[in-house]
Amino acid sequence: MDVTPDEPAVVLDDVTKTYRLGQPIDALSSVSLSIPRGSYTAIMGPSGSGKSTLMNLVGCLDRPTEGRVLVDGRDVAGMSDRERTTLRGRTIGFVFQTFNLMPRLSALENVALPLVFQGVRRRERRARARELLDRVGLAERADHRPNQLSGGQRQRVAIARALVADPAIVLADEPTGNLDTATGSDVLALFEALYGEGRTVILVTHERDVAEHAERIVHVVDGELEGIEAVTGARRKA
Amino acid sequence: MNPREALSMSLRAIRGHPLRSSLTALGVLIGVAAVIVFVILGASLQAAVIGEVGGEDAERIYVWNGPEDAQGPPGAGARAVFTEDDIDRLRAIDGVDGVAPYASVSANGFEHEGDTIAGGDAVATGPDYFTDDAIAEGRAFESGENEVVLTPLAAAGFEEDVAVGDRMTVTFEDGSEAEMTVVGILEDSGPRSPFDGFGEGARVYMPADPIHRTTAENATGGEQRVYPYVVVTADSPENVEAVTSAVRTYLEDESDASEALPGTFGVEIQTNEDLLEQVNGLLATLTGFITGIALISLLVGSIGIANVMLVSVTERTREIGIMKTVGAQKRDVLQLFLTEAAILGLLGAAAGAAVGFAGGYVATRILEFPFVAPLEWALVAVVTGVLVGALAGLYPAWNAARTDPIEALRYE
Repeated sequence: MDVTPDEPAVVLDDVTKTYRLGQPIDALSSVSLSIPRGSYTAIMGPSGSGKSTLMNLVGCLDRPTEGRVLVDGRDVAGMSDRERTTLRGRTIGFVFQTFNLMPRLSALENVALPLVFQGVRRRERRARARELLDRVGLAERADHRPNQLSGGQRQRVAIARALVADPAIVLADEPTGNLDTATGSDVLALFEALYGEGRTVILVTHERDVAEHAERIVHVVDGELEGIEAVTGARRKA
Repeated sequence: MNPREALSMSLRAIRGHPLRSSLTALGVLIGVAAVIVFVILGASLQAAVIGEVGGEDAERIYVWNGPEDAQGPPGAGARAVFTEDDIDRLRAIDGVDGVAPYASVSANGFEHEGDTIAGGDAVATGPDYFTDDAIAEGRAFESGENEVVLTPLAAAGFEEDVAVGDRMTVTFEDGSEAEMTVVGILEDSGPRSPFDGFGEGARVYMPADPIHRTTAENATGGEQRVYPYVVVTADSPENVEAVTSAVRTYLEDESDASEALPGTFGVEIQTNEDLLEQVNGLLATLTGFITGIALISLLVGSIGIANVMLVSVTERTREIGIMKTVGAQKRDVLQLFLTEAAILGLLGAAAGAAVGFAGGYVATRILEFPFVAPLEWALVAVVTGVLVGALAGLYPAWNAARTDPIEALRYE
């Protein structure tokens, strides 16, 4: 984790994303946003608001139609597919609502998977993956396959995987959406810990309860930034 | 991605669908096995035919006649035109060791110790027809004597096995009979010239004098026996070429045969080497044709791989999306699926090579051919398998590689 304190983790500068499905549709129009390093930000909005598009841009999965997207100080707009993939693998840790684990791989192998594509040696990969499984409290489940794990355990494996490449930014898309309240709280506690150790955490959600775990909430409606709300003091559900 | 990683992940994917993977590999297996069986059969058939035509008979020159543009096996369409005088003149050519006339004689029956075998052909020829080591027991017959030489199959054809010194009675087409003494039994029952045909057989050889009855007038006005075929033996393989050309010159320009042949007929001469070349050419064409058909089944096998890989890519769309999201490059995904396809091809080809060699061995045993295993084909098969697999996997793998991770993660 290279931290340059004065440089934001993510900057969106007048970003527009247009999809051409028959008629051009602006999923995002002229959005500008800066997410500081080490911050805990929730992106909130109803479905269809453009928050998924925003997440795809921040996660280097997509390129803006117009404007600049700087991730870890680098402009995604001008990058080739290959450069974006590399940046994504090293800088962003993804956590999804549906966990997205590889069904045939064990928990340990799932956690180690990103390192395979970075050419890290097997022994080192496994050591690092074991360390992270231990951190999320699943050391003894290392050899289980996803279908042998509960939903909460799967999401913790996914979080361990998101952290394995030591990313600057953890990007979570409705991470508690498929979990009951208790396991959801455990998962949110893990994000809180990550925030506590100085990592940038971005949480995409449509639930206010969940969003209020962040230090600020970015509201997206109809492809536009509606406002940024600071969550302070007693209201924060840390 | 490290090739070892790709290999281990691909193997895992293949093991994830054991039945599907086996059936896919089976397609390639059948193709490769079929190709190898036919290649082995071709090579073995060739060896069998060459063994029969005889690599040892390098000094032999076969002479017959036929229509100038005739196509066909040696001897086809020949007329009885070579006279006794022609045979004597050929015998006098430098480098000639022996000359034997050759004609078929139809017989109504052969009788030995009260057991009669009805019908069949006998051969009227001369003592020079047999090489020294061709006779296992006894000797060659002498011209002018009522003597016969038999192949082992002919000797074993009667109720009582025929032995050298036994007597047998031959009944000819015109009803006349001749009492013959068996003087020799040959080493094997194979053909001794292309005029004998192919394969093992019960053959009976008798001296042209007195058995052969077809005659014609020769140049000096006398009646002489005439034959459709002549077998010339040179005194060494090196002399075959010179002898062949002297034989041709004599027969075409000076012989009684040249007088007797109609204008559209010519003298045909073939050495053993010519014959081998011709047979080899024919067999190569045949083997190529059958192998070509077998290659089609290999093509079908490769389509099977392509099909399964396409299904597999679709099925694993989500997994591909996950891999790309966590940092897999296009070429990583390409490599994974190509490796998987190549492994399927390799497994099929390796098993196919084993099955093919085993099948080829069994087939040659059943057909009683010598077993010739072109081992380089095992390597060809394995390389082909990998290539076929990789080639068939190319399009599906490319499809996988260009999958958009956003779409793929949304895929259910």
